[in-house]
This record gives sequence, structure tokens and C-alpha cells, in this order.
Amino acid sequence: MNVPRAGLTWLLIGQALLLVPLWWQLPPWLLLFWLVCSAWRIQVYRMRARVPGRGLRTAMVVLAAVAVFFSSGRSFGLETAAALVVAAFLLKLLELNTRRDAWVLLLLGLFCQVVAYLFDASLPWALYSVLPLAALLAAMVGLQGGQGERLGPPLRRAAGLLLQAVPLALLLFVCFPRIAPLWSLPLNSGQARTGLADVVAPGDIATLAQSPELAFRVSFDGPPPARRQLYWRAFTLERFDGRRWQQGGLSRFQAVQPWQPVGEPWRYRVIQEPTDKPWLFALDVARSTAPDVQQTQDYRLQRRRPVDQPLYYSVESWPQVVRDPQLAPALRQQNLQLPATGDPRMRAWASDMARRYPESEALVAAMLQRYHEQDYHYSLRPATLGSDSIDGFFFDTRRGFCAHFAGAMTFALRAAGIPARMVVGYQGGELNPAGNYFTVRQYDAHAWVEYWRQGQGWRSVDPTFAVAPQRIDQGLAEALGADEPFLQGSPFSMLRYRDLAWLNTLRLGWENLNYGWERWVLGYQQAQQSELLLRWFKGWAIWVLPTAGTLTVLLLGLAVLRPWRRQVDRVLRQFLRFERLLGWHGLTRAPGEGPHAFAERAAQQLPGSAQAIHTFAQAYTRQRYAGEAAAPATLAVQLNDVRRSLAGRTGPQRKPLP
Amino acid sequence: MRAALVARLQRWQDRRAPAAAEVQLDHSRVYIVPSRAGIAYAATLLLILLAAINYQNSMAYGLVFTLGSLFIVAILHTYRNLSGLRVGSDAPQAVFAGEQARFIVHLQSQGKAHYAIAVGWGVHTAHTTDVLPAQAQRLELALPTSARGWLAAPRLRLSTGFPLGLLRAWSWLRSGQRVLVYPCPLAGELPTQHASASTAELAGLQALGQGTEDFLGLKPYQPGDAWHRLNWKAWSRGGPLLVKQFGEARGQDLALDYLALEGGREQRLSLLCHWVLRLAEQQRPFAFSLPGLHLPADCGVAHREACLRALALFEGHR
Repeated sequence: MNVPRAGLTWLLIGQALLLVPLWWQLPPWLLLFWLVCSAWRIQVYRMRARVPGRGLRTAMVVLAAVAVFFSSGRSFGLETAAALVVAAFLLKLLELNTRRDAWVLLLLGLFCQVVAYLFDASLPWALYSVLPLAALLAAMVGLQGGQGERLGPPLRRAAGLLLQAVPLALLLFVCFPRIAPLWSLPLNSGQARTGLADVVAPGDIATLAQSPELAFRVSFDGPPPARRQLYWRAFTLERFDGRRWQQGGLSRFQAVQPWQPVGEPWRYRVIQEPTDKPWLFALDVARSTAPDVQQTQDYRLQRRRPVDQPLYYSVESWPQVVRDPQLAPALRQQNLQLPATGDPRMRAWASDMARRYPESEALVAAMLQRYHEQDYHYSLRPATLGSDSIDGFFFDTRRGFCAHFAGAMTFALRAAGIPARMVVGYQGGELNPAGNYFTVRQYDAHAWVEYWRQGQGWRSVDPTFAVAPQRIDQGLAEALGADEPFLQGSPFSMLRYRDLAWLNTLRLGWENLNYGWERWVLGYQQAQQSELLLRWFKGWAIWVLPTAGTLTVLLLGLAVLRPWRRQVDRVLRQFLRFERLLGWHGLTRAPGEGPHAFAERAAQQLPGSAQAIHTFAQAYTRQRYAGEAAAPATLAVQLNDVRRSLAGRTGPQRKPLP
Repeated sequence: MRAALVARLQRWQDRRAPAAAEVQLDHSRVYIVPSRAGIAYAATLLLILLAAINYQNSMAYGLVFTLGSLFIVAILHTYRNLSGLRVGSDAPQAVFAGEQARFIVHLQSQGKAHYAIAVGWGVHTAHTTDVLPAQAQRLELALPTSARGWLAAPRLRLSTGFPLGLLRAWSWLRSGQRVLVYPCPLAGELPTQHASASTAELAGLQALGQGTEDFLGLKPYQPGDAWHRLNWKAWSRGGPLLVKQFGEARGQDLALDYLALEGGREQRLSLLCHWVLRLAEQQRPFAFSLPGLHLPADCGVAHREACLRALALFEGHR
């Protein structure tokens, strides 16, 4: 069984479309490989080339496998798996001889589509993926043959089928029970993601502030808090080695001290972009019911597995809760840790301050006052610092980004004997007026300080606010000096042109659309599903899928089969009447007896009506088999003639009318 | 085991759908199951669902649900593509054993198009055709014959995978048509009762073609009489259409007699068949006898058909 031309063509088109989103993720030599395989296949179809032999095919498989192995480096991540699937998808082209081969190629194609979704499921690519899907379906239709060999009809039919499948698919999407992963698969995509890292050197967050990439979106139930209250905690940095800050061992793995909610909470939902890191983003002090999420020692929310897909979760935050009124000795020690040597000026200054302000609150206030009153500058381009980086920044250059201010302050507090740590996360966000949600981007990355006080627990303080209050109240763009253009590294980002009103409206509309997509489609997992079904259907949720599913299939069946419009063949109906009429006169058509033979026999048995019977039978045969236009009315008249000619007849064969 | 199951299934089918020369396919005759490709498709969907669950990827969920719904939609469309089709058949022409019998099948649509309908006796030997609303399709299905006698048409299988090939809908039809299979002609000596005259007969047969036979008289024309023996002159003068009758001397009529032959039954029948054809071709009257049947000397199409039919259906003389 050969592969019909329409099927083959659509298969090749579908493959080309399918691979477009994958070229960004796959090694470039696969593109060359694809061109070779496709060209070869087309030449085979045009009888210009022969199908490669078994030896050559084996060689190509080995070559592809080796090439994938070498180009993936040492790790076996999603890229490697994707490259292998795509290589198989391409190689199968050379072995496309029968319909069975074509089916293998089609099913591999469906799998490649899944791989593409794993890489990127954003709205534009999701919309795009309708094209390769339609082409693959058109290939399925084309493989059946029929409809000539044209390309249009299979695509139209495939599109029609796809449209008819939509209602049931939507129903399944909403109601089909979502379950937790059956086993954990690391989606180690290996690609570097922009975002907060485990280890922070003073300049790192400043680099992040150049990126307009989306970090997460938040929508509040009820009125949102003021902008200056939006400190989105990711994690804390507690170990300082003289240059860089790192996470403390305790806070990462130990569960938090139990705490009781106090006061009014904020309730909100977060849709977080993949970070490949386990932590979530939340306001203090947060609690989330999302599966697999726990709170660790430093009050961060942490997931068991890294966030490798857009993640939707709802959080409640109680800002008035006192954190750790008593500090465990180990924790206290961790938060007083300083390198053995280095930064002597800072150490001296801190002990001097500690003498002058024995109350830690007063000391903090004095430090903030120094930041505020002296000549400190908030800048994305801090000066290069020598080996004693804290000293160099605090006493000499005095230009820095949030991490510099927070780092110096944490150092000073520790040197003064107050347990302190640096907190990393995001601050602020852009409120979308239409959607009532905040969009937090990478340039909102921020670092601030927490110090501990007996009985009052951990208290947050933001030195950046003392230096550049506009950063907190309005955002980064407003806080930067005139000589430091916002988003210098991304000249095409629409965020740079926020002054153009129409462009800004357009951008916000697009963001709204994306937000809806992430919230209602990509983020639609276990948590959101149960929430939604419970809200809509209360206790009836489990009946929704079977009931609505049956109903949908029933309606679909009615729409497709249209039993009420069953076309009755009116020509045939006349013949059936003819048969019934003769049946009353004792003549029944034998199985296998054609209409002509039957009429012949009837004419012999009923010679009085022979003429009428012949006329009717000939007209019927002509209309039915000789392509003459159907004229059931004529047949009816002729049948009437037969009836009339039989009417006078009485005889032994005549049966009573039913 | 499998054969018994298949036989039971077929009996069940036969009860549901009695033989008829013309039927319209409907739910009582159309069966539908996933094709092999459909099963592979379902397995792929299962894999995609696993990926969707493990990576918590909504788009993969969306894909698997869309493809799953397509499967359901395809069931309806595949069924629809076959149902409503009207299938008729004509009585086939008689053939000689060893030839292909040609069964005629008419496919006609009831107003909608039917695509890629495979029609054949079995799964592997099938014509694939489209049946469009405007035109009826006429198909000739060949069936090899081996033995003389009646040959009933096997079950006709109509099937389709259209549109997606994920499912196969099919219907078995018994048209009730049968074809008469004549014996296979076998060339050999002409066996006459006048064995002594056989040489002369054969010489005479040669001469017959040249029309030098004795003129016997005229008889009224009957369909099947040879045109070159028509008495055109009398007809052109306004007389009735008459046929000149030539004949041999009485008692010299050729007689094909089964009992005069040597050999097995089928061999004798084949030989007789050959001579019936040959003599009929040469317009030569001959008598014909089988045990239990005697046809007096005659020529013409009807005589030939009667002889061949008797040969095909002869059951006696084991």
C-alpha cells in the first residue's frame, strides 16, 4: 500500500511546521539533517532517487545518535530527549514506504508537539500549534485516499473535525481530574534562566535589573496593599565569605517554627514563571495550601521540586505575625557569622556605633540616617570594589544597588552583635489597571535586611528606601538617574516606551491576554480545578464530566448523523410500492432477482398488465441505473397505471388487502 | 477455535442482515472497531497523558483531550461515511470454468458523498472508490471459478476508514446472486453415433462454412438464426422473413451424446462443451443428449444455451 500523494505532502508540511518552535531549543545541525532527509524523500517521490538501503539507514541512525550525544554535553536533559525524538522523526522520512510508516511518522509528530509544549507553552506558540496539528490531521485524511489527490479537501475536512472536537475537548480540559505527578521527572532544560540565583555577589542584582522578563503575576482578593508593602520574599542569604552572600544551611532544609496567624490576612494568587529553582514568591508571613509546598526556617515557601513549568498557587499572608520570638542558638550563630578577617574599617565603625546606641532599634535608625543624609547614590553601575568590598563601598565609592546597601548594613549589624540577614526577592510590581493584578518583572528584583530583636522576632528594614525612596514608591525607572537609561540592554522592549500612551495601552492589553492565558489555561492544575469546580457545582462536581460528556457526545451524534434528515430515496420508494402491489397479487421478488427479471416474471404471470408493468420497470431501471434524472412523479403515474390495470382482475391468487 | 468463533459471528450477522439484491446500509449492518492505527494512536495518547501529568503541562493536557475528542468524532464520521450507502447487484453473466466470473455491484449515495469505500470479497482484494451524490458507481468484481455448476457470490465486504483512519467501519453483504459456470471446454475428437462416417463428417464440416450444403427448404425467422441464411430476396418482395434451411441427408444429423464418450464425467462434459460451442459457431444443427435428457437437433442461441446449462448442472452418472 503506497502512501497517497495528498497524505505525503501534508505530512511533510506538518513536519516542517512542527519543527519551527523546536529550532530555538535544538542543536542547529538537526536543521541540516532535516533538509537532507526531506529533499531525499521528495526526490524519491519524484523517482529521481532511490530509497536508501538498510546499511545507509543504519549508518545514519548511528550518526544521529552520536551527534545528539556529543552536542548535548554530559547531561541528559529535556534537550537531549527532544533531540533524539526529533532525530527519529526526521530519519523515519527515509523509510516512508507504506501507510504503516506514515502512521509511525504521524504519531512521532504528535509526540514532538508535546516536546514543543514542554519548552514553551506561551500564548503565541500555543496558537501557532494549531497549524501543525491541522496539517497532521490533514495528512491522516490524505492517507485514506479518496477525494482525488488534491490538497485542499483533506485540510478542510481536518479543520472541520477539529472544530467538532473542540466542545468535548474543552469539557475534558475543565473537568478531567488533574492529579499530582506520578513520578518525578527532572525537566532539566539546561537553558539558563534569568532570575535570582543561590549565590549573590553585590553586582548580580544590578545585572538582573536590566532584564524586563516576567517573574510572576499576582492578583489579590480584595483591595491590594500599598506598593511600599509589596516585599516579595524568595529566600535569605546568611553566609558571607567576604565577597559573596550565600544561603545558610539551616534555613534551607529545616521546617519553620510553628506560628499562629494574627490580624487580617492578604489573600492572593500567584502565577510564577518557571525558575528551575524550588522557592516561591510571597509576602510575609505566608502560608500556602499548594501541594508539595512547605515553609522552611527562614519563612520562605519552598516546593519539593523546582518550578519548571508556570506554577499557579494561592497564598495567605499575615503581616503582623511575630517571627521567631526566641532564636535558637544555632540560628543565632548563623546570623552573626562574619569572615575571620577583612573590612576592618566597617568592623571598627560598627563597634563604635554599638557603643553609642545600645538599643538595636536606635542603631538601625542611625544607620538608615547615615544612608539618607550622607552622599550615597542609588545606581545600576556601581564602581569596581577591591578586596575589602564592604569598606570600599560604605566609606569610599558610596554608589551601589540594593544588594550593596543591604549587604553593608547586614555586615554592620552583625559586627555590632545583632543577628541579621539579607533577604532576596522582588519589590513592587506594575498594577495593571484592567486586570487588577500586579506584574512583577526581573528588574523588580530587590534585597533588603532583617534583624532580630529579643521578644519582637525578625524585623524587616530596607536601606534602599533611605537612599532612593522613589525606587520603593514608584519603581526602578523613576529611581534611576538621568544618565542611566532604563532597560539599556533591551532596546526593543515595549517597557521602554511607556510614555507613548497608545503603545502602553497595547502592551497592557497584551499583558492582560497573557495573564488570562497563564491563569486560566497554563495554571489550571489540581488546585485551581478543585477550586473552580467546587465554586460552580458545589457537591455535584463529580457528576459534571459523565453527564456533560454524554450530553455532548449525544448532541455531536445528532449534528453529524442528522437522523431526521435521512434522505429517503423516492425513486426506490416507488419500486417498493410496486413490489408491495404485486405482492398482493401473489408475486414476491426472490432474493437475487433483479428488478428487470422480476418485472419480466410478473408480466408473464399477469399478462393483462404486462404493458404497464414493463413501462414502469423500464422507467425505474433507467432512472436508477442508467443515470437518467430521478423523476419519482412519473414513476408514481406509471405505478398508478399498473394498479388500474390490475384493478379489474379477480383471481385465485389475489389476496385480501391488508 | 478462531474459525469456530468467526463462523458463529457470521451466522449471527446473517440473521441480522438477510440476503438481498439491494440494501441500504444502516446500523444493523454496519460494524465499527478501532483500526490498528487507531490502537497505536490510543497508545500514543496514553503516553502524552503521562507526560502531561508528570510535567503538569496544561497544553499537553489540551492536546491529549483534543486528540481524544477527535477519536470520538471520528467514530461518528466513519460510521456516517458508510451508512446510508445503497448497494445493489446484478445477476452476472455465465462463464466457463477457469474464467473470472464478473459480479456487478452498484453503489449509490442517498444524497451525501462517501469517500474511500473499499469493496471486495475479502480484506486484501478490494477496489477503493468514492461514491458522490450525483452519480452511481458501477463496479465489476472478479471471482475466479474452478468447477462447473452454480457459484454463489461470497459475502461482499464494504469497508472504510475515512476520514481519519483511526477506525474501520465495515459491512458484510450477501447479495444472493449466483453465477452459472459452464464446464471448461476441452478440444478433442467429435464423437458421433456414426462412427464410420466420422471422417466424412469432419470433411463435411469444412465444407459447411462455404455454403455448399443441400437446400432443404424455408422456415420462419427466429431470433438467433444466422443472417447469411436469410431469404432476403423473398423479404424484399414483401414476403415474410424466412430462413433458408440447409441440411444433410436425414439420419446424418450430428448428435452429441454423453454416453458415446469415453473417460470420466468431467472430461466428457468438457469435450461436449467444446463441440457445442464449435457447432453453434458454425451454425450447424446438432442433437444433444445426456443421461436423462435429450434435446433434438437444432441450432441457434437458445439451443446452445440450453445445452451449456444442461452441461453445467449435470449431476447424474457417477
